Amino acid sequence: MTTSTEQLIDRLAAGFSPPPPHAVERGVAFWLAGGTLLSLLLMLVSLGPRADLAAALHGTAIWMKAGYAAAVAAVAVVAATALTRPDAPAPRRLWWLALPVLAIAALAIAELTRTPRESWLDLWLGKTWRVCPALLLMLSIPILLALLRAGRQLAPTRLRTAGAAFGLTAGGLATLVYCLHCPESTACFVLTWYSLGIGLSSLAGAILGPRLLRW
Amino acid sequence: MQSHEERLRPLMLAALSGDATAYHQLLRALAPLLRGYFRRRLSGADEDVEDLVQETLTSIHSRRMTYDPARPLTAWVFAMARYKLIDLLRRGEATLSFDGMEEVLAGADFESATVAKMDVETLLASLPAKQARAIRDTKIEGLSVAEAAARGGISVADVKVSVHRGLQQLGRRLRGP
Repeated sequence: MTTSTEQLIDRLAAGFSPPPPHAVERGVAFWLAGGTLLSLLLMLVSLGPRADLAAALHGTAIWMKAGYAAAVAAVAVVAATALTRPDAPAPRRLWWLALPVLAIAALAIAELTRTPRESWLDLWLGKTWRVCPALLLMLSIPILLALLRAGRQLAPTRLRTAGAAFGLTAGGLATLVYCLHCPESTACFVLTWYSLGIGLSSLAGAILGPRLLRW
Repeated sequence: MQSHEERLRPLMLAALSGDATAYHQLLRALAPLLRGYFRRRLSGADEDVEDLVQETLTSIHSRRMTYDPARPLTAWVFAMARYKLIDLLRRGEATLSFDGMEEVLAGADFESATVAKMDVETLLASLPAKQARAIRDTKIEGLSVAEAAARGGISVADVKVSVHRGLQQLGRRLRGP
């Protein structure tokens, strides 16, 4: 053994303290909460909650949207947390994303069958399709950056995959925040434009991951 | 005869519950393993090897919270080592030896294969030379019994008996306390 390595080992061992249990999960949760709070503030300041929020909370559409967002975020956060460990296998459980997507798709088909063909385009585009994906991406950025910050202190080795999973998580939570603003109410809209926004956030994560997660 | 995993994981678990001496022992035990790992993959660049050993030890230390006590320790350690190796190669500061390339390209499972191979070597070293050689030739390198006999300058029957007895002895040892 070379002397400098021996000295390094002595120095590292002298500075040893056992990490608190579940330090990874706690670290991710801390930054996730911080990022989501920022995203909420950003939404309140730049967009504001929808005027009829109180009434909307008694309807079903907002819960359909929130349920979709929460399910995506839940599947994504499990994968994202696992990917912060160096020996993480490929995130196979991301297939569970198919469940919320299929549920919304089923609702969308139900909507289409009870709507006359000439109104289909309204179902699909709503009034805000042009801005929805971009706003979702905007709201996801604080969460994504917070997660990348958390990830840097951990040990991801699949940086692009981890970045994408962070982006997916950020997209899901940003969508949850956006539900408080968004006036749309159809599953067709959610399936297309919400998913596109979440996809953009994942893409941003996949691009930023290899650059910002290196250690 | 213990595998690295059986020897090192208890040290890490003890360290996680606050035993700093076990942690010191663990780092000291990991250094030569890491050195061997990097040396086999980098063509003769001893300085790079030692740098990587130190970087990996430092990462193990500063990122120790990412070890999941329910999972194998060696897989965690070599996943970090592999990351550091690939990072160095990506920066273009070292060249991989031909032997190393195949394994880095082969992907995530190769750490466990490496550890398994190192363990096999330790086990074989405990056997009489003739038995170890017969097992290595036929079971690891995949020679036929006849080829192994020709290579070792012994009879076919001798190879068969050596393999048989050697494996028997290893089996006894692995089952033993």
